[in-house]
Amino acid sequence: MDILYKIAVDPFVQMAGAPDLLAQTVWEGRVSGVLYSLIALGFVLIFKASGVFNFAQGIMVVFAALTLVGLAEKGVPAYLAHLLTLAVMLLLAIGIERVVLRPLVNQPDIILFMATFGLTYLLIGFGELVFGGSPKQMITTELGLPRGSVDLPILGGLVSLQKIDIAAAVIASVAVAALAVFFQRTRIGRALRAVADSHKAALSVGISLNQIWVVVWFTAGIVALATGIMWGARSEVSFALEVIALKALPVLILGGLTSVPGAIVGGLIIGVGEKLGELYWGPLVGGGIESWLAYIIALAVLMIRPQGLFGEKIIERI
Amino acid sequence: MLQADAQEKVAGSLHDPAADTLPKLLVRNAALRPARPAFRHKHLGIWQSWTWAEVADEVRALAAGLAARGVGRGVKIAIVGQNRPRLYWAMAASQWLGAVPVPVYAESVADEMAYVLDHAEVTHAVVEDQEQVDKLLSVGERLGRITALLYDEPRGLRAYDDPRLESLAQVAAAGRDRLGRNPEAAAALDEALAAGRGSDLSVILYTSGTTGRPKGVMLTFDNVIRAGEIGCAFDKLDETDEIIAYLPIAWVGDHIFSYAQAIIAGLCVSCPESPDTVVEDRREIGPTYIFAPPRVFENILTLTTVRMEDASALKRRLYRYFLDHARRVGEPILNGERVGLLDRVVYALGDALVYAPLRSRFGLSRVKVGYTAGEAIGPEIFRFYRSIGINLKQLYGQTEASVYVTMQPDGEIRADTVGRPAPQVEIRLDPSGEVLYRSPGVFAGYYKDDAKTAETKTADGFVRSGDAGFLDTTGHLKIIDRAKDVGRLSDGSLFPPKYVENKLKFYPNIKEAVAFGDGRDCVACFVNIDLVAVGSWAERSNVTYGSYQELAADPRVAAIIREHVDEVNRSLAAEPRMGGAQIRRFLILHKELDADDGELTRTQKVRRGFIAERYAPLIAALFDGSREADIRTEVTFEDGRKGVIAARLAVHDMEPHPVAAAPELEIAA
Amino acid sequence: MRAPDGPLIVKGDVILAVENVSLAFGGVKALTDVTFDIQKGEIRAIIGPNGAGKTSMLNCINGFYHPSEGAILFKGERRPKMRPSAAARGGIARTFQNVALFKGMTTLDNIMAGRSLKMHRGLFWQALRAGPAMREEIAHRRVVEEIIDFLEIQAIRKVPVGKLPYGLQKRVELGRALAMEPEILLLDEPMAGMNLEEKEDMCRFILDVNSEFGTTVALIEHDMGVVMDLSDRVVVLEYGRKIADGTPAEVKRDERVIAAYLGQPHA
Ligand SMILES: Nc1ncnc2c1ncn2[C@@H]1O[C@H](COP(=O)(O)OP(=O)(O)O)[C@@H](O)[C@H]1O
Ligand SMILES: [Mg+2]
Repeated sequence: MDILYKIAVDPFVQMAGAPDLLAQTVWEGRVSGVLYSLIALGFVLIFKASGVFNFAQGIMVVFAALTLVGLAEKGVPAYLAHLLTLAVMLLLAIGIERVVLRPLVNQPDIILFMATFGLTYLLIGFGELVFGGSPKQMITTELGLPRGSVDLPILGGLVSLQKIDIAAAVIASVAVAALAVFFQRTRIGRALRAVADSHKAALSVGISLNQIWVVVWFTAGIVALATGIMWGARSEVSFALEVIALKALPVLILGGLTSVPGAIVGGLIIGVGEKLGELYWGPLVGGGIESWLAYIIALAVLMIRPQGLFGEKIIERI
Repeated sequence: MLQADAQEKVAGSLHDPAADTLPKLLVRNAALRPARPAFRHKHLGIWQSWTWAEVADEVRALAAGLAARGVGRGVKIAIVGQNRPRLYWAMAASQWLGAVPVPVYAESVADEMAYVLDHAEVTHAVVEDQEQVDKLLSVGERLGRITALLYDEPRGLRAYDDPRLESLAQVAAAGRDRLGRNPEAAAALDEALAAGRGSDLSVILYTSGTTGRPKGVMLTFDNVIRAGEIGCAFDKLDETDEIIAYLPIAWVGDHIFSYAQAIIAGLCVSCPESPDTVVEDRREIGPTYIFAPPRVFENILTLTTVRMEDASALKRRLYRYFLDHARRVGEPILNGERVGLLDRVVYALGDALVYAPLRSRFGLSRVKVGYTAGEAIGPEIFRFYRSIGINLKQLYGQTEASVYVTMQPDGEIRADTVGRPAPQVEIRLDPSGEVLYRSPGVFAGYYKDDAKTAETKTADGFVRSGDAGFLDTTGHLKIIDRAKDVGRLSDGSLFPPKYVENKLKFYPNIKEAVAFGDGRDCVACFVNIDLVAVGSWAERSNVTYGSYQELAADPRVAAIIREHVDEVNRSLAAEPRMGGAQIRRFLILHKELDADDGELTRTQKVRRGFIAERYAPLIAALFDGSREADIRTEVTFEDGRKGVIAARLAVHDMEPHPVAAAPELEIAA
Repeated sequence: MRAPDGPLIVKGDVILAVENVSLAFGGVKALTDVTFDIQKGEIRAIIGPNGAGKTSMLNCINGFYHPSEGAILFKGERRPKMRPSAAARGGIARTFQNVALFKGMTTLDNIMAGRSLKMHRGLFWQALRAGPAMREEIAHRRVVEEIIDFLEIQAIRKVPVGKLPYGLQKRVELGRALAMEPEILLLDEPMAGMNLEEKEDMCRFILDVNSEFGTTVALIEHDMGVVMDLSDRVVVLEYGRKIADGTPAEVKRDERVIAAYLGQPHA
């Protein structure tokens, strides 16, 4: 009885008792949720266009952030470092298309998946070689990102919002909107959707798969850089960041591998869900549930909707 | 105030003795309302439109071009195709020159078309496109009279070398050129227009008829214009009205509503992009006035019902709840009767959530009056539309009357009558129950068939409608069936086949039904399942089928139909005089009844006699107690090739319901 | 319209020549030493029993496969490792045996995708739907609307193609190929799985495309009636080898063809 009370009633009593704390927690969860969403978005883009499950997406985030910070440390002005990093991501995309995708086209998916494993270790090795293995500070001020916090005296308490988090939310929304416009309205966007639907049909109308792959991997690279900057601004830039990539997995389970809205909503659900879980239910098992709670949430959703949140309804026709 | 003005304008334009032909009225429109839209046509995804001034100019140019190609007084000119502005303009241009247009059903197979063109002694043909050109050329020898074959859509015709072929655009351009260079030609054209008289023949409309070869109904300008005026005045149509023209141009309904009345009232006619896009085009145009046979309303409703089956549970619940509510209070509200406040509030809510979205989905949001005619409409379907706030009315009309015989005035609308005699129409019933009428729209005669004309028109100018009916106590006409079709069972009870069939056809799963029983000891019938409705049921229930035939033969489908038949029997049993007509046996046909096979008319009416002959073995099985019947039928494909399909059909027995006792009063009567 | 690059080819000239083409998948020889040509403006049928290598032949022509031996000359040019996108750019369009459409997109977008190669305006303008990109979009839309009108598919313009019945999907696929304004159109069993009425429509479209726009057509088809009605010349494959080549009448009389069809009746 007692344990049931602690699971099903007590947390909600606490929430109602201190709404300001609840609001603060939801906000924090939402902030990490945005980052999960962005990483998942990178996965989805690549999976849709090339059918590759890109294990290296997480490491691309670190790599991008590291390149930016590394260049800045070498004395390159922030905006230039930014542009150069973008150029590096473009080169990376071209390189991946040339060296990995093109030779492996028509190979089974698992081979391509393994190739992205290789890519992961290549990026880690290369990054450490060039920029060293020690953690670095994100060049927040130089990039013109705000610091400090806004304190809102609401809900009978004080809810504190980091300005950098607000900026992150804004940037993420703008990025997603820009991607949506790009997909819906441009020739390349239409071509991307075409490739995602049918490779051979896309080829037959003259769409070049190679070009599309470069575009997609580059887009994923840009998303990775944005994610890296924001994540780095909240902690520090190191390969330890890679673990957040693992958080993208439950997000993908939740949102479906091919759905952009799924990635976004899934990320937010996981972000908020794990923070609330940690605070209100964590003490029941002695804390530390944040690392696996995400999977529990994802599995719970799958029980209700096997196709994921936004996955297409799978209709078996005979 | 505005309303009164508009009325005055219409009234003012109505009795214009100088404008006694349609082309004269067209020219008047160009002067009266030059910039108002007259025609629209959706082409390449975009609505193109023409004002009255532009249309008059086009028609004039076309007339000049046609004149140069030998069209003149008395010439018969065939118009074949879907509803396209240029075909209507060609009609007007012919009439301008005193020639007589003969619109032909675009769907007709080559043989039917050849008959009409030959019978009408057509010398010129205006057709829509390659398909129609091919059809005409394929019967070439039989149409030796044709000297010009003019088409609207040039695609695919470039390689044809028949010298008679020319595009309408070329004809109009040549005409315009001639008018510009030659003032005498222009003067001649004006004279031709002025020479037209109201008593001139304006059009010959071939009625498909349920028996025999089509007959050419000759209508004069006086017929068409005065009938059109009756309609315009009755429903106060004016230049702000919009209609969409999508019914066969050879049908009197289309001729009066989309052509004559449009010119008389100056309203705007929109032609759909293709026959398949009518629903969406209607939604885009939002007509204010519609006219359709019941089948169109049935189809719209069937599609909606089917779609709702696939909708989410919540939506379905809402839909059901509010439609039930509408069924109770919608009609009284539309009729302006007294309805409780709560019911009105719920209805208003339903309007926001269900009715208005439905009306808009049907493209009927702006409709002020809609008519169903041509056949009896299922009362439930009729009430459905009225209950969701669409002012649908019934009208009883015939080609021979230039449409109007009876109409339902506002506030007197009932599902089971077709209304009161229209203005200027007199009605008489002969002892056998046949309806006769006399009106300004009554036709001049059947073309080249005086015997038939004499048979149909009485000495005092009344027309035998061929329909059996009676006037009820309120003065409304009730049509039971074709006079010659109302039969009696061997025990003397009444058997009106259409009445029974219409009850069956109300069910979305049943597309067509044919009942037999005259002179027999009971009623039995054929049922055609509706592929859309039953197919969607099959999909939802995981029933697989490879063809129409397979689906029709599925015992689970038979079980569904059996339930429907049983419900029909129950409702027949509730009416003392109809109780004897309960269906005792039925079978589900293995193929869809099809106009191409001669089983339906071009207006999709069942051709009972033909079907009885073609399916004689099945009818025998219905009445001799067999449990199964074999049938082989020849079918015609679109190109005229023939094939044979064979099937073994199950015959189903039904248990009749006890017939309600006749009330005293009725026995006394 | 773009000026044709390469030599000027007029009706009746060889537009595409297949020279001693062989194709192997591991041990399976899909094509063995096949030689034939296609003349500009003609309708060329490729027939043969299932598995004869017809689809493989088309795949070689549009660059999906590269012959292991021999060569394919398009407009006199030999391009040994031509990629599909290069074939498309050169004026080769095709449809597939088992429809390959962009299922999530509407009919309109699918056909619009056929215009991919012909759109040039910058990303920026396109994203804004403004300026030159807008004009370009409108011009392309017009071409696409002509095709929609031509194929009589106005009613399904805005329907996602995945929801369409098979016959209509095949029509949309043809529309997408037409949108490329190809010089040569490769059709892989365009009438498979259609009912009689749909087949007739498709025949009419193919003939009209050929006569109205002068498009050369290479067509794989099983229905002999259709082949006889439509094609100017027929090449017959069996087990990856060419066994006959000539007018429909000639091919029909050929003993090896009769044997091939009697020996292995096609589905
Ligand atoms: N991608 C492929 N991999 C392996 N074998 C193939 C491939 N494509 C075609 N084949 C083989 O080539 C032969 C010819 O096939 P195909 O060209 O599809 O014949 P058709 O179109 O005439 O029916 C068949 O034996 C088929 O199995
Ligand atoms: Mg094949």
